[in-house]
Amino acid sequence: MGAFQPNYIERSRSPKRALAATPRLVAALVAGKAGGRLSRLLGRGDGTSLPGLIARKIDPDILDSLVRRTGMPSIVITGSNGKTTTGRLITALLRGEGINARSNAAGANLAQGVATLAVCDSDLLGRQPDGLLVVEVDEGALREVVPELGPRAVLVLDLFRDQLDRYGELHAVSAAIESIADSLPAEAAWIINADDPLVASLAPDRRGRRVTFGFDLDRSTDHLTRAADSIRCPICRTDLSYDRVFLSHMGAYACPKCGFARPPLDVAVTALEMSGIAETKLTVRVLGTELVLRVPQPGVHIAYNVAAALAVMVGLGIAPVHASETLAAVRPAFGRIEVIQAGDKRIILGFVKNPTSYNTTLRAVDFAPEPRQLLVAASNTPVDGEDFAWLWDVDFEAIAPRLERVTVSGTRAPELANRLKYAGVDPSRTTVVEDRRRALDVALAAVETAGQLTILAGYTPTIELRGLMHQRGWVGPLRDA
Amino acid sequence: MLESLPDGQSHLDYPVIRVAHIYSSLLNVAGDGGNLSAIEHRARWRGIATAIVPVEVGETPDFAAFDMIFIQGGQDVEMAVAADDLQHKGFSLREAADQGVVIFAVCAGLQLLGHRYIPSSGAALTGIGLLDLETRAGPKRFMQHAACEVHIGDRTGTVVGFENHSGLTELGRDVRPFGKVLAGAGNNGVDGTEGAIRDNVYATYLHGPVLPKNPWLADHLIQIALERKVGRPVDLPRLDDAVETSAHVAALNSAERNRGRRTALEPALLLRTRRPAPEWTPPSSSFR
Repeated sequence: MGAFQPNYIERSRSPKRALAATPRLVAALVAGKAGGRLSRLLGRGDGTSLPGLIARKIDPDILDSLVRRTGMPSIVITGSNGKTTTGRLITALLRGEGINARSNAAGANLAQGVATLAVCDSDLLGRQPDGLLVVEVDEGALREVVPELGPRAVLVLDLFRDQLDRYGELHAVSAAIESIADSLPAEAAWIINADDPLVASLAPDRRGRRVTFGFDLDRSTDHLTRAADSIRCPICRTDLSYDRVFLSHMGAYACPKCGFARPPLDVAVTALEMSGIAETKLTVRVLGTELVLRVPQPGVHIAYNVAAALAVMVGLGIAPVHASETLAAVRPAFGRIEVIQAGDKRIILGFVKNPTSYNTTLRAVDFAPEPRQLLVAASNTPVDGEDFAWLWDVDFEAIAPRLERVTVSGTRAPELANRLKYAGVDPSRTTVVEDRRRALDVALAAVETAGQLTILAGYTPTIELRGLMHQRGWVGPLRDA
Repeated sequence: MLESLPDGQSHLDYPVIRVAHIYSSLLNVAGDGGNLSAIEHRARWRGIATAIVPVEVGETPDFAAFDMIFIQGGQDVEMAVAADDLQHKGFSLREAADQGVVIFAVCAGLQLLGHRYIPSSGAALTGIGLLDLETRAGPKRFMQHAACEVHIGDRTGTVVGFENHSGLTELGRDVRPFGKVLAGAGNNGVDGTEGAIRDNVYATYLHGPVLPKNPWLADHLIQIALERKVGRPVDLPRLDDAVETSAHVAALNSAERNRGRRTALEPALLLRTRRPAPEWTPPSSSFR
C-alpha cells in the first residue's frame, strides 16, 4: 500500500441494521451477564469467559447476532506469540485517535472469551456503543470465531510451534488461517508479518487490502538456532537463506531455489534500541513517514508488536497521529515482564508459554548479573497443555551458570526440575515446591533485601502467583492489568 | 555427580562415544533433542565423553563408524524431505544396524526406518526397511501421556513419555515390540505393542523427551554402545537419579490417568473409565 486508504471504519458508522432482539438472545444476554456478576461476587474466576460461555449455551448464534449482523467493526489478531500485547497497543492507538476501541480480556481468546466481550458490551436488548472491537483469537478457535465476527482486518503476527498437543502440527494452523483469508471480503485488510516466512506465504492469491510489516535493520538481532520453527521455504522446502535474522526464524530471507522472498515492507522498524528492563526505543517507518517511539516494555518482540499495531492502523486507514504519546503510556499486559515491588524486594514476572516466549523473555530479563534468583512454574491444565517436551527447546543452558537458587513449582514441577538438571543447574540449587503460595514464600525468602526475584511461569501459574501478589497488595487486580 | 570433562577428552578406561544425530535440524520437534542431552550428560557424569555429530540432508557418512545413531520426530512436511534423503543413507544405516551399532529412533524416525509410510492421500513415502514394520495414516491423532513395559536383556522397566502421532504402525516378523502398552495407544491403538526392536536398534513413538525421564533406558543405551566399542562387559557407576525418578513418576501418574483410553482427544474428565489395556499378542503379519 502506498498511502492511507479512506477510513472505512468511519464509513461503516452509517446507521446499523437493526438487531432483532429475539427472546432467545435476550435470555442469553440476561443469563450471561448474571453469571458473570455472580462469579465475581463469589470470587470465582475473573469473569472473562463465563458470561460468553453461558450466553452461547442459550443462543449459539449470539456472537454472529451481536457483531457480524449489526455491522460492528472488529479486528482479529492471531498468531502464536504477542496477541495480548499487540491487542493492547492497537486499542491504545485507536483510542488515541478518538475511537472507542474495546478488547477481550487478556488470554480469553477462545469462542467463549470473545463472546464475553460482546455480551458485556451490550445492553439487555443487544445494543452496543459505537466503536470497534479488538479481538485476539486463539489459532485453534479461528474457524469457529472469525465467520461470526466478519472482521474489517485480520492480523497474523507469527507462527511458532506452540503447544503441539493442542493443534497437531504447525501446518494445520496455517491451513486454518488460509481458510480465514479466503473467506474475507476484499475490502477487509489482511495484515501480515513479512519477516515470518510461513506467515508471508499464506494466502498468496488473495486479492484485496494487504499490509506487511517487519524489520528494516542493517544488522541481525538474533541468530538461527536448530530449534527455529520454519526455516525451510514454505513453497519448495529448500533451506531458506537469511541475510539477517531478527527474532527466531523471523528475518530478511530468500529461497535460493524457487525465488520466494520476503515481501516489501509497508511498515518497518528502522531503528531499535533496548535500554534495560523498563523501555524500548524504536523508529518505525509507516508508509514513508518515520515515527520515533518509546514503549515502556522490554524486548525485540515488542518492536514487532508495535510494527504490527501500526500496520493495523494502515489497514484501517487511520493515521496514527498521536502514536508517540499513546504508546509511551502502554504498560505491559499481565505477566509480560511486569516489574513488581514486593515489600523491600523486587519481582520480575514473565509469562511464558512456549520455547519462543521463554527464550525471548529470558533474553529480555537477562541483564548481568541478573537473574540469579529464579522461580519457574509449569502446570498441565487444559489452557497450558499437557505436553511439556518443549521445555527441552528452551535455552536454560544460557542462564544456568549464573543461577544461585531456583524454586520450581506447578503441577509439572518434576519435569521442569529435571530439565534444569540437564541444563546444568545442580540439583542442590533447586527446590521443588509444588504449591504456588509456598513456592513464592520460599523463593522470596532466598532473596536478600533490595534483591530481585525473576519469575517465569505458564498461564495458570502466572494467574495464581499474580493473584497472590494482588492479595498482598503488590499489584492491582488482573482485570486492570 | 562426577566432575565433567572438557570436550574431546574421556575417562582413561573409555574412549569417546561417537553419536550421529541424523537431521538434527529437520527432525527436531517435541524436545527430542533432550535425548541427546541425556546421553551426553549421563556419560559425562561418569567421566565418559561423547562427540555428537549432526548429519543433515545431503550428508552420507559411514554410519558403522559411529557408536550411537539418533533419528527422531518431525512434522509431516519435514518427514517427506527426510524420506527422500534417507534413501541415500539407507545402505550405510542398514550396515551399521547389522554390525550392532546402537540406533535410537523416535516417531517419524521409527516410521522412516520401516518399509514405508502410507499417507491418507498421495504417494507412499518409502522407508529404508531397516525395521520390519509399516505405517499407515490413521483417522485420529494420538496425543497423550503414555507408558509401556520394556524387556531388554535381563532387565524389565517402565518407560514413560508423550505420544503424538496419527500413523498406525504394524510390526512384521523380524522385529519385536519395544514395549507392551501400559497406557496410551502404542503403535496402532489396537494390538498393545509400542515401538520396535531388532539387534541394538530401538524405535519408539514416545516423545517427552523419553531418555531424561527414563534414565535406566538411557544408561542401557550407553552401556551397550560402550560394551560393543571396548569389547568387554561394562559396569556403569550408579548416579543419583532422584530428580529423574520424580519426573518419571509424575509422567507415569499422568499416563495412568489415560489408561484404556485410545486418545486424549476424547473428553478426559467425563470418560474416566478404567478399562484394562488390551492383551498383548505377538505380531504375526509380515511385510516381506
